[in-house]
Amino acid sequence: MNNINDLKSLELTVGDVFSKNARLKARNVNVFYGNNKAIDNVTIDIGSKEVISFIGPSGCGKSTFLRCFNRMNDTIDTCLVQGEITIDDENIYDKKIDVVPLRARIGMVFQKPNPFPKSIYDNVAYGPRIHGLSENKEHLDVIVEESLKRAGLWQEVSDRLESPGTGLSGGQQQRLCIARAIAVSPEVILMDEPCSALDPIATARIEDLIHELGNDYSIVIVTHSMQQAARVSKRTAYFHLGKLIEVGKTKEIFTRPQHHQTEAYISGKIG
Amino acid sequence: MNNKIITPFEASNKVKRSIAKRRAKDNRLKLYGRTAICLAVCFLLILFYSIFSKGYSGFFQYYVTLDINFDRERIDPKGDLSDNSLFDGEASKIVNESLFSIIQPQGRKAKKQAKKIVSSGKDVRIARMVKNDPSLFGTTTKVKFALDDDIDSFLRGYIKRETPESERRISNKVIEYIDKLNKEGRISYEFSDYILSGSASGNPEMAGIKGAFIGSMLTLSVCLLIAFPLGVATAIYLEEVAKKNKITEFIEVNINNLAAVPSVVFGIMGLAIFISIFGMPRSIPLVGGMVLALMTLPTIIISSRAAIRAVPPSVKDAAYGIGASKLQVIFHHVIPLAMPGMLTGTIIGMAQALGETAPLLMIGMVAFIVDVPNSIVDPGTVLPVQIFMWADFAERMFIQKTSAAIIVLLGFLISMNALAVYLRKKLERRW
Repeated sequence: MNNINDLKSLELTVGDVFSKNARLKARNVNVFYGNNKAIDNVTIDIGSKEVISFIGPSGCGKSTFLRCFNRMNDTIDTCLVQGEITIDDENIYDKKIDVVPLRARIGMVFQKPNPFPKSIYDNVAYGPRIHGLSENKEHLDVIVEESLKRAGLWQEVSDRLESPGTGLSGGQQQRLCIARAIAVSPEVILMDEPCSALDPIATARIEDLIHELGNDYSIVIVTHSMQQAARVSKRTAYFHLGKLIEVGKTKEIFTRPQHHQTEAYISGKIG
Repeated sequence: MNNKIITPFEASNKVKRSIAKRRAKDNRLKLYGRTAICLAVCFLLILFYSIFSKGYSGFFQYYVTLDINFDRERIDPKGDLSDNSLFDGEASKIVNESLFSIIQPQGRKAKKQAKKIVSSGKDVRIARMVKNDPSLFGTTTKVKFALDDDIDSFLRGYIKRETPESERRISNKVIEYIDKLNKEGRISYEFSDYILSGSASGNPEMAGIKGAFIGSMLTLSVCLLIAFPLGVATAIYLEEVAKKNKITEFIEVNINNLAAVPSVVFGIMGLAIFISIFGMPRSIPLVGGMVLALMTLPTIIISSRAAIRAVPPSVKDAAYGIGASKLQVIFHHVIPLAMPGMLTGTIIGMAQALGETAPLLMIGMVAFIVDVPNSIVDPGTVLPVQIFMWADFAERMFIQKTSAAIIVLLGFLISMNALAVYLRKKLERRW
């Protein structure tokens, strides 16, 4: 996909935006809220089974860009997305694409833990139920158990699956939300600042979890914390005022940033 | 000093000085609030006291106990207990004979007056008794009969003995007879079996609210069945499905306007459309329910929209994020979470509809209908209209009946509101 457009955006972005085994490809993506340009000509690849973190100061558009991948921006009336985002070379903004199966392939975990006001079991079983993933009750039980185990929550809740999901602690709720996302067997998981509402211990658990899940899924995580980005991700993308400034191996970004803005952010001068 | 920031010492002094003022303001506000609540409670208590203290006597009336000889030959001449046969029988005559044997009226005129002491429903009562229990035939049983409404009013003290005979509704003779019956202990003051099981009647001692109560139930059911689904569907469409544009804005404004339209206008509209154009019959609960549904729709839509808007967007996001379709988000998440609010709005709307008189007058539900409606297409009336009609009648006894009907209506309303509170408590989920 090395056309002229790619080269144009390369002028803007420092580092290697492309990936050898890319699963998601964003090409020249612009996002507008009304007349406001929130994302300016962003091009990036997200590899298969890769954990990539988006960092940047508040309002830089990293969450907006994340929400483009599963078309959650569709729910906002004034939002307009231009450009091309493909998953396995299929344009997700194509008119023929139905968002329902797309969102089953690309799961999402939100900033604030948002379990449904239902039982723990029903929270996890909801996705498989609406997509018809289980053949029978026993199969559904297995899916729920497996998802909760992968989210590292099974031991804590196995004896109270029927109690409400909203009764759990913040960290447990967030892991429940991750279990809910895993339950539909997505290929990619988008995480929008998943730890910003959690205490350090709960955060550590989620980070461990992201590490493990990175072996099976592509994970895109938006975070405010540079330490977190450094801990969980292999690649890091730095956004500033709607532009993708720099992409690179996490180690390199944090030790040898090439762009002066990245350096300023890393060293705490902006943001 | 003026253009400088004040020192911490000065600042703390100023805060201290202002605090007394602020406290006083707080306390004053608290006092206003408490006074308002106390006043409201006082008025409510006065209202309930006056209604119940005056109205409860409407549930009671005076009865006379007579020994009735159930002679089958005379009551049921054909011997088949059919309405025809019982109608041809002489039940009234038997009752009168029993009465005469006690009070001994002399002459035609006295007998004529004496007959009127017992309510004219006496033959119907005997017919009903033998139908329910044919084994009564051949026995002599004590039977209670309602007294005529004038006698009832006299016994309650509304018609005074001291009033000159010419200005009184009952004659000295009749008072004499009543005294005689009283002396024998045959007159009793008991819970009325007409008020709850009787229907509209020109004789106040036999009038009851059953017809109106059933009419109210039927009308409300029609109203609920039309207004609830329509209102909730409209609210969901406007909140979740429709794009915000000029048209939806226009609809929104008009729904809010409709909520403020006087109810009688809906009655006129019902008359013009349902009765004149569609040719539906007058006075039927179906049309009444439809008119009331139109009237309550705005209430239901507005409260349902508020309930839907209160559903946390995070829950909707979560559902969308996992790949739920719009319909699934609405039916699995929005409706269950908004249901308590929607139900509360609906019940408030229904309570409004229950107390509504004006639009129903327009479509003829004010007709004098003796039969209890059996279905939504039988002519009928409703409680508030019945109250309105009784309040208009001249007979003294209707005053108590009116109060009794008001108590029943209030009881109905309070239980509906209690249901609303219960449902909200039960369905409400916390998140």
